Amino acid sequence: MRKEVTIKWFLLILVFLLSADFCFPSDRSEGKQKLYKVSVFILTPSQQPTPDNRVFKRIKEEFGIVFDFDIIAGDANQKIGVMLASSDLPDIINAHQRFIDNEAFIPLEGLIEEHAPRIKKHLEQCWSLITHDDGHIYVMPNWGVYQGDYKSNESLGPAFWIQKAVLKEFGYPEVKTLDQYFDLLIKYRERYPTVDGQPTIGFEILCEGWRDFCLKNPPQHLIGFPNDGDVVVRDNKAEMYSDKDYAKRYYKKLNELNQMGLIDREAFVLSYDQYIAKISSGRVLGMFDQKWNFQRAEYSLKKQGKIWRTYAPCPVTYDESIKDYYMDRPVVNVDRGFGISVNCKDPERLIKLFDSLLDEEWQKFLQWGVEGEDYIVNDKGKFIRTQEMRDMQNDPAWKQSHTGLSFFDESTKLEGTFSDGNATSPGIQPEEYFESLKPEDKEFLAGYGYKTFSDFFSPPPPNPPHYPVWSLHIPEGTPGQTAFLKYDDISLKYLPRVILADPKNFENVWAQYMDELEKIDIPAYLDAVNEAIQVRIKKVVNN
Amino acid sequence: MKTVRKKPGWQIIKNQKQLIFMSVPVCLYIILFSYIPLWGWSMAFQDYKPAKGFFEQTWVGFKHFIFLFSDSNFLNALRNTLAMSLINLVLGFVTAIAFALLLNEIRITSFKRVVQTISYLPHFLSWVIAAGIVQMALSIEGGIVNTILIKLGFIKNPVMWLSKPEYFWGIIGISFIWKELGWNTIIYLAAMSGIDPGLYESAEIDGANRYQKMWHITLPGIKATIVVLLILSIGRLMEAGFEMQYLLRNGLIMDWSDTIDIFVINFGIGQGNYSLATAAGIFKSVVNITLLFSANYFAKKIGEERIV
Repeated sequence: MRKEVTIKWFLLILVFLLSADFCFPSDRSEGKQKLYKVSVFILTPSQQPTPDNRVFKRIKEEFGIVFDFDIIAGDANQKIGVMLASSDLPDIINAHQRFIDNEAFIPLEGLIEEHAPRIKKHLEQCWSLITHDDGHIYVMPNWGVYQGDYKSNESLGPAFWIQKAVLKEFGYPEVKTLDQYFDLLIKYRERYPTVDGQPTIGFEILCEGWRDFCLKNPPQHLIGFPNDGDVVVRDNKAEMYSDKDYAKRYYKKLNELNQMGLIDREAFVLSYDQYIAKISSGRVLGMFDQKWNFQRAEYSLKKQGKIWRTYAPCPVTYDESIKDYYMDRPVVNVDRGFGISVNCKDPERLIKLFDSLLDEEWQKFLQWGVEGEDYIVNDKGKFIRTQEMRDMQNDPAWKQSHTGLSFFDESTKLEGTFSDGNATSPGIQPEEYFESLKPEDKEFLAGYGYKTFSDFFSPPPPNPPHYPVWSLHIPEGTPGQTAFLKYDDISLKYLPRVILADPKNFENVWAQYMDELEKIDIPAYLDAVNEAIQVRIKKVVNN
Repeated sequence: MKTVRKKPGWQIIKNQKQLIFMSVPVCLYIILFSYIPLWGWSMAFQDYKPAKGFFEQTWVGFKHFIFLFSDSNFLNALRNTLAMSLINLVLGFVTAIAFALLLNEIRITSFKRVVQTISYLPHFLSWVIAAGIVQMALSIEGGIVNTILIKLGFIKNPVMWLSKPEYFWGIIGISFIWKELGWNTIIYLAAMSGIDPGLYESAEIDGANRYQKMWHITLPGIKATIVVLLILSIGRLMEAGFEMQYLLRNGLIMDWSDTIDIFVINFGIGQGNYSLATAAGIFKSVVNITLLFSANYFAKKIGEERIV
């Protein structure tokens, strides 16, 4: 009797479990525009949109597509490693070289030709550049494909940055050479040993993890080359610069400055967050960095009303005969953006979505917002914002509920000018840019007689065909890549020692650094780079 | 009397069916999560590429192991791992036992509770936060360590603790104790509460003082616990921790801070070289198992409690 009861219980539970299992599929609604849930992986740390986000609500209404975002927190390489090893791939992936190497993407060129006339037209100008050796396109570039006129008001790239307050103090001097730059920092620090009650930091160097370009990259710019990462390219031939005399000259200078106490003592142990915190405090006079890397700190300074503590770029070189080449022309962000993964059930529908979003109406909605709410049209037909609108746009919470956030950032998009003559985004609309400057910024620019912050740089020449090396593809697990990794490690280990060394000992430590570099297979890395340069040059010429 | 060990037959199985039934899920769990993944060890002998199927992989034999042991970074990492985990082991044991003994002697229960709670609270912090606190405490601008040392006159100028390789192992050791001390004492306190109070009473009658009671009753009373925990810890000697070192490392001290786990992340997972990561993992497991059994064997030899 008891046994029977047990068996009945068991059967009952079994039936429950099974029915639950079979229930869910039939739950998925039918109907014409079936709601399509798309999983998206985002590679840049950012905010999740709010549930009632304006952009995603409209996408849901018009296309029946809802997104489920997986936004990275922490180290990208590890996350990617785990994703690939488990082959647990979402439908849309924010591209990274390693996804391509491990065949995580489907080829897009066929889909684009067949279903996406707008994307086809948009990417036509860089079609062969973004096509891989196997003849396939895997990623729709997120930035750098321009149409119409392009004028940049501001460079987000590399420079030696200096507080506007320092330049104002000394009557807006021209800063052309490295020595002039550091002299200003030294003089200002002598005059003002503290800022807002805290000790003034003359020069800051960030060297945490992959952001160590702040430590490694300056020598190439000081001899007048653009940002090619860890090499300079002469006549399409790459050379490593860390072991050259012109690099040594820079680190020798830093060594001397360290003796004078100009460099932050904590520089080489700072985490990125501590670095941002220090800059946000307004007591760091200068640093070498790329603007997007410390922009967070600038937002914070602006919020605190410390406009004079924000930064202006100094594109300095070793001497005035060398022309600065910090700012570059926009480059197509090859292999960065969205790709569709091999796990995606309905790629056709997604490519059609991206195609529809490239429509000018949608782009205006995504980049400017809604007319009357986010911008107004002046009597000349130009889009412009009121101060209230600007303040609203700067509010992170508002952004979270009203803009496309990182989904928009990573989607392929129109850049340059719309067919009606308006700039595609407020940041590059000249009327809007000048209006949105703070009074202090206007005063500062007037001091130099400049119109925009881009005027600090020499106008960039056309990009060399190979440019930039940092986006070239060096295959995973090859001797070249391993050599690069080791080079990176050794530089991170020795450059701080070189800078902190007793001046008497400088030559000695530098020689040790050279010894260590010699032990690794740098030629293998250079060969891989040079090969990739040749491949890209062919592609660019073909375009 | 001669005991005959019965051969496992249906009768025994039938008698113990409830017990067997209860252990089935646990066995399944262990097979599923501890034994089946061992299949992945095959990756260490291949040049593994995630996109390819098992039979399309290239087999390379011991290539990755040879690379590991000829790579100076790995050998450094091995040294650091062993050193830091030995420091953690010794410091952790001594302090936890000493602290537990002291706590056990406190008569006022409420005070004891408060001390205990405060001391094990840091255990619940994540390492990210703990590392942030350590970084702040060691900062040269208003860090508490430098401030106190200067006020006491031990040093003249603030010291950059995190830029000196010679301090790093010590910093890790002290941080571990700060974070885990209270938590580690709990099990000893539990063991101490199991000691027969009669022993203390008779010791008192015999005229033993407090220290003698601690030495001759409390410590022997928890000896079994100590030995078992020690054996288990020795079996984890290749795990020196990962987060703390990863969060506190920087270029100046890399040679002394990188553990095997950090090496695996950088040169294995981070570079897409899963085979290398697996090879390092196998090495770690083999060493750990060997240590565990040797410690166990040794404990058996000297007639102590053991686990297997």
